[in-house]
Amino acid sequence: MTTTSAASVAARGRSALPRPSRIRTDRSIVRRRVATSLTYAVLIAIAVVYIYPFLINVATSFKTDPDAAADPLSLVPATWSSAAYARLFLRSEFPVWFTNSVIVTICVTAGRVFLNSLAGYALARVDFRGRRVVFAGLVAVMAVPGVVLLIPKFLVINQLGIYDSYAGMIIPLLADAAGVFIMKNFFESIPRSVEEAAKIDGAGTFRTFWSIVLPMARPAVITLVILSFQGSWNELSHFIVSAQSPELMTLTKGVAQLASGALSQGNQYPLKLAAAAIMTIPVAVLFFVFQKRITNASTGAVKE
Amino acid sequence: MSTTTTARRRPRGSGLRGREAAAGWLFITPVLVILGLFLVLPVIMAAWVSVSDWTGRGSPFSGDVGFVGARNYRTLVAEGGLATQDFGTSIRNNAWYVVLVVPIQTAISLFLAVMVNRKVLRGRGFFRTAFYFPSVTSSVAITVLWLFLFSASGAVNKILSYLGAEGPNWFNDPRGVLHVTLSAIGIDQPAGALGAHGFLGITWWEWLAGPSFAMSALILMAIFTTSGTFMLLFIAALQNISGEVEEAALMDGTTGWQRFRYVTLPMLRPTLFTVLTLGLIGTWQVFDQIYTGTQGGPSKTTLTPAYLSYSASFNNGHWGQGAAIAFVLFALIVALTILQRFALRERNTVPRRKRFNQPPPAAGDTPPALPTSTGSQP
Amino acid sequence: MHRPSRTTALTALIASGTLALTACGGGSFNEKSDPAESGATGSGELNILVWTSSDAENDAVKSAVDAWSKDTGTKATVNVASDLVQQLSQGFAAGNPADVFYLGAEVFAGYAANGSLLAYADELSNADDFFPTLRDSFTYDGTFTCVPKDFSTLALIINTDAWAAAGLTDADIPTTWDQLKEVSAKLTTADQVGLTFGAEYQRIGAFFPQAGGAMTNDDGTTATVNSAENVEALTYVKGLLTDGVLKYPADIGAGWGGEAFGTGKAAMTIEGNWITGAMKTDYPDVKYRVVELPAGPAGKGTMQFTVCWGIAADSANQDAAKKLVEALTSTEQQLANAEAFGVMPSVQSAAADWKARYPDQAAFLDGADYAVGVVNAQGSADVISDFNAKLEALASTDPKAILDSVQTNLQAVLDANS
Repeated sequence: MTTTSAASVAARGRSALPRPSRIRTDRSIVRRRVATSLTYAVLIAIAVVYIYPFLINVATSFKTDPDAAADPLSLVPATWSSAAYARLFLRSEFPVWFTNSVIVTICVTAGRVFLNSLAGYALARVDFRGRRVVFAGLVAVMAVPGVVLLIPKFLVINQLGIYDSYAGMIIPLLADAAGVFIMKNFFESIPRSVEEAAKIDGAGTFRTFWSIVLPMARPAVITLVILSFQGSWNELSHFIVSAQSPELMTLTKGVAQLASGALSQGNQYPLKLAAAAIMTIPVAVLFFVFQKRITNASTGAVKE
Repeated sequence: MSTTTTARRRPRGSGLRGREAAAGWLFITPVLVILGLFLVLPVIMAAWVSVSDWTGRGSPFSGDVGFVGARNYRTLVAEGGLATQDFGTSIRNNAWYVVLVVPIQTAISLFLAVMVNRKVLRGRGFFRTAFYFPSVTSSVAITVLWLFLFSASGAVNKILSYLGAEGPNWFNDPRGVLHVTLSAIGIDQPAGALGAHGFLGITWWEWLAGPSFAMSALILMAIFTTSGTFMLLFIAALQNISGEVEEAALMDGTTGWQRFRYVTLPMLRPTLFTVLTLGLIGTWQVFDQIYTGTQGGPSKTTLTPAYLSYSASFNNGHWGQGAAIAFVLFALIVALTILQRFALRERNTVPRRKRFNQPPPAAGDTPPALPTSTGSQP
Repeated sequence: MHRPSRTTALTALIASGTLALTACGGGSFNEKSDPAESGATGSGELNILVWTSSDAENDAVKSAVDAWSKDTGTKATVNVASDLVQQLSQGFAAGNPADVFYLGAEVFAGYAANGSLLAYADELSNADDFFPTLRDSFTYDGTFTCVPKDFSTLALIINTDAWAAAGLTDADIPTTWDQLKEVSAKLTTADQVGLTFGAEYQRIGAFFPQAGGAMTNDDGTTATVNSAENVEALTYVKGLLTDGVLKYPADIGAGWGGEAFGTGKAAMTIEGNWITGAMKTDYPDVKYRVVELPAGPAGKGTMQFTVCWGIAADSANQDAAKKLVEALTSTEQQLANAEAFGVMPSVQSAAADWKARYPDQAAFLDGADYAVGVVNAQGSADVISDFNAKLEALASTDPKAILDSVQTNLQAVLDANS
């Protein structure tokens, strides 16, 4: 809008007004062009700062150890070496970690979608006694910071006997008040007429939910899938407290221990960066596929 | 909802309404059970452990575990021994982290949002993606990358050497940044009171040490990873500001900066509040990066309360103390959130000194709110 | 009517859905938890927890355990923990700890005090063979609780190539503090620092007995951390740092002294026996020699480290565990370990043999005569890690201030114990 009005002023100026204002308009065009180029320059510079580290990450994973230490900035290795990846896949537990992360993430995502949409629908549309109390309870629960739960979750998991098992790693992660809210907000935006039509046709609550309303909720479900995937793939503290045996280790915990020197005593950067790079690939793929949806969601995932 | 009432009263729990209620409870029960088991019950259990002397063997609810009252809390906050010093150190480190990360990340994300939101810009999608990508990655992966970038012979120090400066050994340098600057201008020793008295076992002089170089690297990492998320929130809010308001302001002859300061910024207040709250809550719980990267070192300058709570319990077996730290942190976060809500609340009346005309304060009517002073910060 | 059955069907669906998710967690993927479970149910399987060390040590332990397993028919698995203390602690809290595990002398007292350990040491057939000083490290309340698996002392490791390149000879091997400083200065070049050792009490503590000081008095009731002798020792170390002839491994881009030494970043290091195993596996091309640490104003001094095989009191396979430990600490096994990763046997019967086989490592065993152990009072682990944290900042802090603070903390711990 600013462009058009300014442009129309400029156009008028050129024909109708005397010379001095034309110089003024020419100058303002130049000023605007300079401002735009400046904006582009600043943005590109900042974008480089944001992207370059990841390029370094990938490049360094293909360098040899001394090369990585000697030449940290370059994006092209002096000698291409896949030793880091070989060590990672053949002589460490990395494949186990990857498998565990995949299993846990898929189960948690599926579980969350199912349970959150059920609960969200109930809160949004089903009239039952105590609905408001439950809602208030959910809000209160969301306020508890994660750090308070670190120790006690371990204690509870222990007492329930699911410590050091897939159940212990997956079930607690299914608790997701924020996801319930996302689904609830979405369901509230679906016109009641749809449901009323279904009820007149004789559908029960679950049937209405499952066959009619849920398919309409696809955008919200996709958002939930993205958030759950990201959340459980990148989760660390829960996996620290819920399992300890090496067969159950996930990517986050494994790479964290790699970083603090578990596989060997020494600074083997290409190895650690290779692990970090592979760890990032699934979320990156998900991100690029669903970019538009992620960047448009105003209630995005919060990184702590 | 309730349609026109019929003459006869339907008993609750039967018929259509009753079935719907049952279905509703059924739908919500799994979520409630899981939340109850893994969110509510843990908090109760932690509360019990923090006032008991459980040593880590067997169940905390067993018969031999005794109630010790506020002993764990007292050791933590009042006694002045090693536990208090560690707790004070962790609070100090985290306080510097919060004070630096929250304002900077808010400012940068707002800046990026404004830049990316300009209408003339092409490639907006590319920039948004580039700035948001770090937020998508795992904190573990980013920490590993950061350890490499900021190592003694890493990329950052290489760049600094091109600029002529000698970069510090980032992740291993325990000196506080503020202390280093002060000693550069000659102030090495604390002045009297600063060195003699303290809080939570640490002298005031040490409170003012500033973040260490290692902590500073972590601060930069936090800003790098969270600015993208908040940028998106700001973009959404900016796009919600209707263009007519902007045009009206333009017609009034305001410059870009004035427009931003007096029109855009006040309308961003709710988002600003959200961003600040999320930032506060998130920064006080730093754990993943510490666990992966520095484990509290060098010299306990990256020790944070969340990590201290974990390490006191799992590594040192002081379960009661660990739980106590967690609750103190909880209280701190809640207090800060309430404080922030209070400080940033909408005021319905214009502060007295900003009123242009001062009608006598009678008859209970408030003076008209003038556009230039509504909601602007003093 | 359909409705009631619909509600039932709905209930069934939700219930089965939730159960299916649990099954996702429970079922076929859960085979792993069985070994640990069976440890508690007494089916005879042993779960052994060790910490990460060099590949040489891990492999040696695994093969020893496998051999015993084959001989006796009892299944035993070795798990290498990336963070032994944390995993032990979680295991005990879960009521499901490992059966046999490494236990350092510093943390021994804590576990003994809360009843986690089985006091089996006196029941072994070789109980009297262990060195007396090592026996003391693992005696709690008068009972010899667990047996030391080996021990090491600190010595000075010198890179012979760098030594010759700096024009030094055998006569220049440092035997006093001043000589150490001179030699480190001569060895310091642009790419290589003369001396390196970790920023921790477990290294710097060797200088305290050399100056005549100690961390506590003889019966362990009073802390003597900030004695004048200790201050002298710490001031000397600070001097080395500020002169630039000593650098911590982290400051030169290495994870520990051995890595700094092996990669050529430092010409000398102070490390224990375990460095020989690491050098053989990771840095085979570096030629080195081992000499005793130089003497300080009050004479020679070094530190001694030992680790015991702890057996959990909750273990359901105590007999099997005892037999395993007895096999792992037998004379032959200890000599085999010494061969593999360079530690010294904890049994006296193997001492003469060891010295004969490894004359170039004699300095380590000679150190045993005057070595002091680490502080092992219950609760001292926190004080030591705080001490280590302060030592990282030694270059910019007053030594007396550091020692005063540790004195206060350690005295508080000793008072709490008495």
